[in-house]
Amino acid sequence: MIVLENVSKSFLNGVKEEEVIHDVNLRINKKEIFGLVGETGSGKSTILRMINGFIEPDKGKIYIMDRELNKDSKHQLVRDTSMIFQDFNLLGNLNVLDNVILPTKFRKGRKKDEIEKAREILSFVGLTDFEGAYIKTLSGGQKQRVAIARTLMTSPKIILCDEPTSALDDRMSYEVLKLLREINDKYDTTIVVVSHDISVIKSLCSRVAIIEDGRVVEILSLTQKEIRPISYKEALISD
Amino acid sequence: MISTYIDTVSKYQTDLLKAFTETLDMMFTAMIFTVIFGMVFGYIMFITRDDGIHRNRFIYFIVSGILNILRSVPYILFIIVIIPFNRLLIGTGFGVDASKIPLSLIGIATFARFVEQDFLDVNKSIYETSYALGANITQYLTHFLLVEARSGLILSFTSTTISLLSYSTVMGIIGGGGLGYLAISEGYQNFNYSLMWIIILLMVLLVHLIQTTGNRIARKYDKR
Repeated sequence: MIVLENVSKSFLNGVKEEEVIHDVNLRINKKEIFGLVGETGSGKSTILRMINGFIEPDKGKIYIMDRELNKDSKHQLVRDTSMIFQDFNLLGNLNVLDNVILPTKFRKGRKKDEIEKAREILSFVGLTDFEGAYIKTLSGGQKQRVAIARTLMTSPKIILCDEPTSALDDRMSYEVLKLLREINDKYDTTIVVVSHDISVIKSLCSRVAIIEDGRVVEILSLTQKEIRPISYKEALISD
Repeated sequence: MISTYIDTVSKYQTDLLKAFTETLDMMFTAMIFTVIFGMVFGYIMFITRDDGIHRNRFIYFIVSGILNILRSVPYILFIIVIIPFNRLLIGTGFGVDASKIPLSLIGIATFARFVEQDFLDVNKSIYETSYALGANITQYLTHFLLVEARSGLILSFTSTTISLLSYSTVMGIIGGGGLGYLAISEGYQNFNYSLMWIIILLMVLLVHLIQTTGNRIARKYDKR
């Protein structure tokens, strides 16, 4: 589904180029929830942005659904993927429904069908009553659910999540993680999650790559657990 | 005292109406050119600046430099030095139509800077979002940048319009006429101070009307 072969990337640091991603090799399978975990600045978000073509690697090759990702193919391939951001990246001047419909404006389709589909998705993410609300009136969890609804509008085969819960409290994180698991189950979507939060990765992912200083140091298989909310008391008294 | 002002209004009714029409004519044309070219140059500067999505120092330097020159020449001198350009463009250097050219140029230069700033105020991650959602560069401008910057752009255009109104008052120097020219030639230079004060009051009301309308529209469209 997603293959990275010897991928490296340098950025200009002052006057000299500094390599931040070194020979990364990854193979992410179809329908898998794959995690990229590492400290802040380890390069995991850069890897994610190379997977959707926003950042171009200097060396190596990336294949998405058996097609090589390059300048010519990236605009086509990015349409089969979607991304969830840490800060939601919703448009404040649009209401919930218009935010959700937004990606369909760059694709062919009938407007009436799109509105119907958006309403179905809003119902799936539990925001039926909020379609006319503006973003500033929503809680963090609701905002992220709008962002998730927006990603689902184009029925993406791959969803990339960049720290999807780091701006949320525990309860809201639980809601978002549960939703991502449901999406994976219902739509067979491949999900790649970047997080520095080990509990997020443990509760969601079936496999995880540990990223240190721009290198994949290990890939582990995890046993997926039931995602359940825990109270502050449970969290405090557990070891 | 009030009767003096009423008498002045009735005496100069036709002149006031003519001058007001000339001001509106100059303003309207300048506003159209300002909004079109101001947006274009503002966007060009926004995307070609050092941290822009299509960094190009040469283009930025040229566009920014020209706009800076337009804004830095004292306006009354600018009107004079641009007379040959007016002739080249419309065949005459004087009159209401010729006045529209320097007015449009200063409007474009002022508004383009505002546009650049308004776009800079939009969250930078919105470009990445547009890419991730499958938008191309034109769709990024129309569906993301303009949507998020719209209230700022409305306020910027309001301020530019008020500046244009102010600039239009000196267009008499090349026969542009308008309210400002009437206030100076008939009011100040002919010692008809009541006419001058009436025009000042009219200008104050116009500015207030433009600003209030701009504020209301911006508020209506700002949902952030």
